[in-house]
Amino acid sequence: MSNVITASHLTLAYDNGAKEIIKDASFSIKKGEFVFITGPSGSGKSTLLKALFGQLKPTGGNLIVGGLDLANIRQSKLQELRTHMGIIFQDYKLVNEWTVAKNVVLPLMIAGYSVDVQNTQAHRLLKHVKLAEHADKFPLELSGGEQQRVGVARALAKNPVVILADEPTGNLDDYSSNVIWDLMENACQQLETTVLVVTHKIPTIFSLPYRHFIIESKGVYEVH
Amino acid sequence: MKFIKNHLMFILPLMAILLGVEFYLVFDRTTDSYEKGLKEGYSMLVVTKKPMELSAFKALNKHISTSQKIQRENIVSEIAKGMSQSSSKEILSSLPYFYNVGLDSYLHTSALEKIKTDLEMDSNIKKVETFGSSYSSSYRLFSFIKFTLKLFIGFIAVVSLFLIIKQMEIWKYTHRERMQVMEIFGAPLILRSGVLFKAAIVDAFFATILTSVVFLYVKFQWAANSGIDIMMQNQEALFRLTDIAILLGSALLIVIISVYTVVFSNKGVQE
Repeated sequence: MSNVITASHLTLAYDNGAKEIIKDASFSIKKGEFVFITGPSGSGKSTLLKALFGQLKPTGGNLIVGGLDLANIRQSKLQELRTHMGIIFQDYKLVNEWTVAKNVVLPLMIAGYSVDVQNTQAHRLLKHVKLAEHADKFPLELSGGEQQRVGVARALAKNPVVILADEPTGNLDDYSSNVIWDLMENACQQLETTVLVVTHKIPTIFSLPYRHFIIESKGVYEVH
Repeated sequence: MKFIKNHLMFILPLMAILLGVEFYLVFDRTTDSYEKGLKEGYSMLVVTKKPMELSAFKALNKHISTSQKIQRENIVSEIAKGMSQSSSKEILSSLPYFYNVGLDSYLHTSALEKIKTDLEMDSNIKKVETFGSSYSSSYRLFSFIKFTLKLFIGFIAVVSLFLIIKQMEIWKYTHRERMQVMEIFGAPLILRSGVLFKAAIVDAFFATILTSVVFLYVKFQWAANSGIDIMMQNQEALFRLTDIAILLGSALLIVIISVYTVVFSNKGVQE
């Protein structure tokens, strides 16, 4: 299987390189793998995720995602790369003045799909995350768990190559968390989507084989 | 209420710019006829040794458009009253030729001096009188009024543009969450700032309509009943239908520039 993500001697820092968060990290992730990244608070988990979707440029080494080096990528290429990613946030990042259905089809809207296709897909995706009856509601009318399911549906909308999730269950109860893990397992298993999840702790009930990286003392290490 | 206030904060400065543009157009049109009057009322006096044709004057300077010969007989008849016919003929034969020379446009005083110099280079020309001082004072007053108006319009435009950009920044702040989310999912600049473009373009139409209404009122109501000669004489020049297109074009250009200014100042997704 080909690598979807390759980091070699990767260094990530803030304040123009003055504040190093990750230093000289090397790892690779193949297509269809499910990966957990854990580590203590402030270790750089979210920083690594930001770098993976191009919000933070590496200050050293290489970070190649989908064949593109994020250290030297043009804005237009980065935009294109992001359309092949599904990103899930702890705080959901839904557009509150849009309906649930419109939030879900945002990636399709960006890709220029027709309104008919968007409507059909919205219905399919919301049914998949068991929120079909909430299509016309607004995000703030839903519970946290439901909002995160909308976030997952949005991430899956365009059958992304990779899903990046930052503490997707951090604000949720056990029941809602399990629903979210199920959805992501399904995506990985059925669509061969690479899923990379940054989390404080790995769920106890998890049926798929997965890889586990830990970030500690600025390094990224695989736990076997 | 907040929605209306938000849009008024954008429409009013935009209207200030459009009113400035329209004032400029109206001023330009009305002063055009005044300028024409000044040009037609002005001529310089040229004294020549021998008779001279218009083409000869034109050959000396391209701004010369007319030449009118002053009848020497009239001058002689005035000064030779009571003299014999032979004396009158002698005076007439010794008199030079006089011409009123007109110009093709309303020129700067330095251009008048250039014409004078060009004419004086011809050996046939004895004297040129430009009446420069009275011409110069009218020209300077006219230029000063024009300059002051342009400066005022320019100042209003700059201040208004800052207000428009400020309001646009408020809109961007209001919509920042949506724009950030769209950016994360790879939306190009034009798509994620579409909401700003839509609001600004709608307001550009409103500002154009309101400005046109103001000038239509001035043209058909105020000017017609004002009793002010210059207004009544130039009523037609106060507002033309083509001005609507100019105003709309200006409004759209201003909003597009301001949206791009604000959108490009975005440093990216902030969490």
